[in-house]
Amino acid sequence: MTGRRTRSLGVLGWLGIGMLIGLFAVAIAGDSISGYAYDVQDADRALEGPSRDHWMGTDALGRDLASRLAEGARVSLIVAVASTAIALLIGLVYGGLSGYLGGRLDGVLMRVVDVVYSLPDILLIILIKQLLESGLSGVPDLYRTLVAVVLALAFSSWVAVARLVRGLVLQAREEVWVEAARAGGARGSRILVRQILPNIAGPILVTLSFRIPAAILAESTVSFIGLGIQPPFASWGVLASDGFAAMRSYPHLILFPGIAIAVTLLAFYWLGDALRDALSSR
Amino acid sequence: MIRYAALRLLQGVPVLLVVATITFALLRVIPGGPFDREKTLPPEILRNVEARYHLDEPVARQYLRYLGGILTGDLGPSYKYLGRDVTQILADAFPVSMELGSAALAISLLFGVSAGLAGAVRRGRAPDRVLGMLAVAGMSLPSFVLGAGLILGFGLWLGWLPAGLWEGPLSVVLPAITLAAAPAAYIARLTRSSVLDVIDMDFVRTARAKGVSEARVRRHHVLRNALLAVTTYFGPLLAMLLTGSFVVEKVFAIPGMGRFFVTAVTNRDYPLVLGVTLVYAALIVIANLAVDLLYAWLDPRIRLGRSKA
Amino acid sequence: MAVGSCFARALTAAAGLALALACDGFGPGGAAAPRGTLRLNLGTEPPTLDWNRATDSVSITVIEQLMRGLTRLGPGLQPVPALAERWESSADGRTWRFHLRRDVRWSDGVPLEARHFVDGWRRLLDPETAAEYAYFLFDVEGARELNSGTSSDPETLGVRALGPHTLEVKLVASIVYFASITTFMVTFPVRLDLIDAHGDAWAEAGKLVTLGPFLLDEWLHEYRISLVRNPDFYAGPPPLERILGYMIEEGSPALVLFEQGLLDLVRLPPLEIRRYQDHPGYRHVPALRGYYYGFNTLKPPFDDVRVRRAFSMAIDRSQFPTLLRGGEIAAAYWLPPGMPNHNPEIGLRFDPEAARALLEAAGLDPTALDPIRVVYNTDQTHKLVAEKIQSEWQTHLGVRVELENREWKVFLRELAASPPAVYRLGWGADFPDPDNFMNLFTSWSANNHTNWENSKYDELVLEAARETDVSRRQELYDAAQRILCEDDAPIVPLFVSSVNLVVGERLRGFEPNPMDLLYLDQVWVE
Repeated sequence: MTGRRTRSLGVLGWLGIGMLIGLFAVAIAGDSISGYAYDVQDADRALEGPSRDHWMGTDALGRDLASRLAEGARVSLIVAVASTAIALLIGLVYGGLSGYLGGRLDGVLMRVVDVVYSLPDILLIILIKQLLESGLSGVPDLYRTLVAVVLALAFSSWVAVARLVRGLVLQAREEVWVEAARAGGARGSRILVRQILPNIAGPILVTLSFRIPAAILAESTVSFIGLGIQPPFASWGVLASDGFAAMRSYPHLILFPGIAIAVTLLAFYWLGDALRDALSSR
Repeated sequence: MIRYAALRLLQGVPVLLVVATITFALLRVIPGGPFDREKTLPPEILRNVEARYHLDEPVARQYLRYLGGILTGDLGPSYKYLGRDVTQILADAFPVSMELGSAALAISLLFGVSAGLAGAVRRGRAPDRVLGMLAVAGMSLPSFVLGAGLILGFGLWLGWLPAGLWEGPLSVVLPAITLAAAPAAYIARLTRSSVLDVIDMDFVRTARAKGVSEARVRRHHVLRNALLAVTTYFGPLLAMLLTGSFVVEKVFAIPGMGRFFVTAVTNRDYPLVLGVTLVYAALIVIANLAVDLLYAWLDPRIRLGRSKA
Repeated sequence: MAVGSCFARALTAAAGLALALACDGFGPGGAAAPRGTLRLNLGTEPPTLDWNRATDSVSITVIEQLMRGLTRLGPGLQPVPALAERWESSADGRTWRFHLRRDVRWSDGVPLEARHFVDGWRRLLDPETAAEYAYFLFDVEGARELNSGTSSDPETLGVRALGPHTLEVKLVASIVYFASITTFMVTFPVRLDLIDAHGDAWAEAGKLVTLGPFLLDEWLHEYRISLVRNPDFYAGPPPLERILGYMIEEGSPALVLFEQGLLDLVRLPPLEIRRYQDHPGYRHVPALRGYYYGFNTLKPPFDDVRVRRAFSMAIDRSQFPTLLRGGEIAAAYWLPPGMPNHNPEIGLRFDPEAARALLEAAGLDPTALDPIRVVYNTDQTHKLVAEKIQSEWQTHLGVRVELENREWKVFLRELAASPPAVYRLGWGADFPDPDNFMNLFTSWSANNHTNWENSKYDELVLEAARETDVSRRQELYDAAQRILCEDDAPIVPLFVSSVNLVVGERLRGFEPNPMDLLYLDQVWVE
């Protein structure tokens, strides 16, 4: 069960990495790889299916869908990675402190988490996004929605990370203390860094591998409500929800963004599982 | 145990109050009000409307009025659905959400746990993993994309199932699958991950070394720990099924409660937003309690109410 | 028998139109067996069926099946008799007398009387009712005072019952189109005895008493509303046995349900229209609904009339019908076709060169200008239009344009508080009179977000509302429209929206309506 096979990332792990590298390359290259600018309109060729000229077809304004997707990769990844990074940072510190210190502080911190947890995610995202959008000063108008969406997503998801981290730390602490007692005692901070962190790093990495996809999904849901990223930017979520409104007649408009999202999630999952396997075999 | 549960529920009350307060405050801070209309209301009419709903009072007064209402079980009138009370609206919609939610819950647990176990046990066999992960990827699409795919596939092209509406058992199938997909994928990954964690752990090795049969090891040690992980997820799962259902309800035209999480905000129907939020928060408090109780039962190392001692 | 005779007549009739006309008289004849159930998509839950308080189009759609008013819109959108069999107005146009039919009964058997109108109008204007559309009767004597609380005596309201079947209305000024206003639901009669008995729940299923062609049978909130034919409808029961109105918010899934044969009538979502244009069930008609972009005329550079004119002239409006494909009509004028006094000659033409010259005359260097911010509310169609406008202005004027969308309520609040430099809005007719459109941009209108005022325009609109002479009215509205769309250009009219539906092949007798009302009392399912 253990041994050599799990020490490396395995085929799927490397495949996941390869796909992600490809994805980031697309995100960096943007629409320059598809031969059309993502915002060039051609009314005569609107709503065409896939063809040799436009291999993913065109949208209602005659824009090349492949270019829009390539451009959308950039937006989607920025939103997902940025919001996850913020959420992870808050969650790690918060959950770690709460779990490790325990006692009364843990009680208070967890009450706060309970409260945030008891607020419906989607409601929180909408309200915070609206609030930030009208309240953010110093951000150029163009980027205001983008920043508001990132922060709203981060704010709605840090609690989950914090809870997980706390749970892991609690579990690890109990085990480590048993060992520590057996070994004759060690200082607290040493235990935290040397014993507990490695113990929870695996699960955290795995969490990360589905927090980013979760952010991509959450962003697409926000777009579906019509509160997502706004033009000229278009995330995959925006493209997919635009496609939803035409799904009966022009399924390609939802199909290709859907595939893009699915492939990306798959890559993250493969990588995540491979990492998990590699890390768990000590 | 019962004292602990009662205590936890009591602790939930201030949580609900804080939730109500935060939501109330956020709603009043975001721009736009319930009676901003495409056809702007003349000032004298706006005054009448605001007077009817006490929106002309100072906000602090409105807040107290609202809290007083909650305590007497009155969530107030909806600003959008004229002549209907929030309590009444929720009473109509909640059972539908529950029905859809339980169907989705069953599907996601069944599928998620078994897929996760299979994935863990057969780790390393590429074809299984490729198939499994493809399924997972499919399930992890945004639910409106998955819903669209199911509607087009099973509704339009195959014609097997209705593309929506809420009439008879057949109409539950597609929305329940759509709603269950994301949680099922999550559970599968969680199960797999926690099983693999446990399989190599000392106490499992010890058990094996002591000659305990493999089946017994799996059942007693491995499965139990897997369930432990899934249990932790039960609260978020419930939340996901409830709020996640708003997309599914929209896509399949189902008259549940989930839609209000969005439409009530976009309509600025303050009492309705507060109503759904309170119901949601209460459910979460109860679910968290249930999780802790289950957790204690599954993992004897954790003692309830320890921090109180 | 009746079916046979209708068929026989149909056989001899030359055209399908004749069939429709011949069978027109058949439905209300009442002898035939009811035919079929119509399943349609309403889109959303009607917020209320209390016609004093309702404001939205879904509520109107349902209420129109359940109720009748004094008058009703006829085929040419002229008011025709409904509950009032005839009416007359005094020479000064300020006193109107409506004579009610004597054969009308509510569904609980109570005969209709003029006092039901008096009760309804007083309730509409009572501040406690908080009816948002109370202002529809502000032209009635004492109405504004009653509604704003300066008078609390309902007797001061200028509406009286001169006996059970005669209603007299006194207006503050001559309003030539008053019989059009009485087609609108807020003016329908009410039964105070029932409202007192049931409170706010009076408009729920099991309690609601009405007098129209259909009766409310069942209301599953947020899901489906069920109406049954009224066997005692005064004009004879309608052919349909039942109407099931579903509340399916998303248009595309509703369209799949239509394809599955589970719905008979759905609205086409904007992007799906093109594919259905050859469908035998495709129905469309230009609506009395204008779509425009407004300028905040206090915000530079749009405080300069030359700039506004230039931006208006730099848009090739003919692109919108191609883009939206729903039978929209490109419009540089404001009064839509189908509305009396419509004039297609009015409006600034597409002329990019002249537009650039105007900008230059205004002393503007387009490339040095700050980006123009265009604000619209989140919606598929609005986004398409905004992206098109952006590309037109960038191409033809060389300015930079930034688009910003807002959630609906945020957008409305912004319009009311501090309108953006450029915003999009639309206006749909409440009743088919030009005043309903032209009044929008008067200096006293709450819906004029442009900050533009023109006393000449105000005078023309006021005068036209009182003008009974048809050709003189045309002159007045032409002059006003030229100020609005050409000379001062506080708004850029873009196109006239249209109603796009697809109906099942077994549905007969249905035609869409420019007011976007669904007339279902002459419809049946084969």
